[in-house]
Amino acid sequence: MDQLDILKSKWQSQQRDFPKYSQDQLTGLLARRSSSIVKWIFYIGIGEFALLTVLNLFLMDSEQHDKYITMLGKPLYFGSYVFSYVIVIFFIYKFWRNYKNISADQPARKLMKNILKTRRTMKWYIWFNLSYVMIFGIIAAILVLFNDPQLSDLIHSDKFLEHKFKFMAGYIAIMIAFFAVFCGLLYGIYSLIYGILLRRLNKNYQELKKIEV
Amino acid sequence: MPVSSNLEKEFVEQLEANQNIVHKICRLYTDNQDAHNDLFQEVTIQLWKAYPKFRGDSKFSTWMYRVALNTAITLYRKSKRRVPTQRYETVEFKIEDTTENDETMEQLTLLYGAVKQLNDIEKALVFLYLEDKNYREIAETLGISEVNARVKMNRIKTKLTNIINP
Repeated sequence: MDQLDILKSKWQSQQRDFPKYSQDQLTGLLARRSSSIVKWIFYIGIGEFALLTVLNLFLMDSEQHDKYITMLGKPLYFGSYVFSYVIVIFFIYKFWRNYKNISADQPARKLMKNILKTRRTMKWYIWFNLSYVMIFGIIAAILVLFNDPQLSDLIHSDKFLEHKFKFMAGYIAIMIAFFAVFCGLLYGIYSLIYGILLRRLNKNYQELKKIEV
Repeated sequence: MPVSSNLEKEFVEQLEANQNIVHKICRLYTDNQDAHNDLFQEVTIQLWKAYPKFRGDSKFSTWMYRVALNTAITLYRKSKRRVPTQRYETVEFKIEDTTENDETMEQLTLLYGAVKQLNDIEKALVFLYLEDKNYREIAETLGISEVNARVKMNRIKTKLTNIINP
């Protein structure tokens, strides 16, 4: 019999060491608000959806709206919106399903996996939005370049002709650089928020995975 | 609502009877009394939230181990508003058995001290082991295989012995 087994009996004999809550006190505790990470992930998820939706609405309602429609053409302009909303609905459905799958009475490893899955859905959502903005942003920027009457005049003017290629390349390079910085920044903020929130969970999940190897 | 208040009454009765399980987990995963109370509160909330799904296919206490440990190692976020107060080391153990009280107290303190040095998952394994759970139950609670639970437990035993007898 090893030492731990001897201690086991002592362990089981500890009785009055702990505070004893009455039924009234326990009932009181039930009304308190949870501060679990699942709740935080849910709130952050809702926040991400809300923020990106507001951003979209804001862009759509801007005064440039009509100008863009004429420049991009109706199919591309509205098509991109329909496309983005279908995807958003898909993500909200995924998020909700993952969230519903989280239950405190699952085996620890499964619970952790489900939480990480929910976070991953939000990560993909963010990346989808960024890619969407980039692809349509660049297409739009190029179309604007060709279709905006003032810019078009400038580009096709004789004086400008020799700089045309340089200008276009510079323009696209700046767009991509701007986007890269923006993505980097967002990714940083994103990692920070979830990193702090899930530090403990990640550590424990890795530990459980290690046991199974 | 009579149905929900009946459920609440039933739940609180079972929780009151089994609250020592939660206290022991809180003691392992926190450093002072305030943190203990904070974790106890979160475990209670999580148990209550999961309770409608508990329909007696296992014992209340068995189900409770799982939810409480999950709260401690996965769901719980340490609250920032807490000010550390009295540390556990200064809190005396009270044991019912008075004949070998001093020695038992000392050994228990030693054991708690050693287990505290383990990581979250190791703590959970040792805790379930000390609570006399079999390997099948330990494996199911953590979501690992029975064989691996046994192997890991043997390693932890060695580690604990080394901490207790350096």
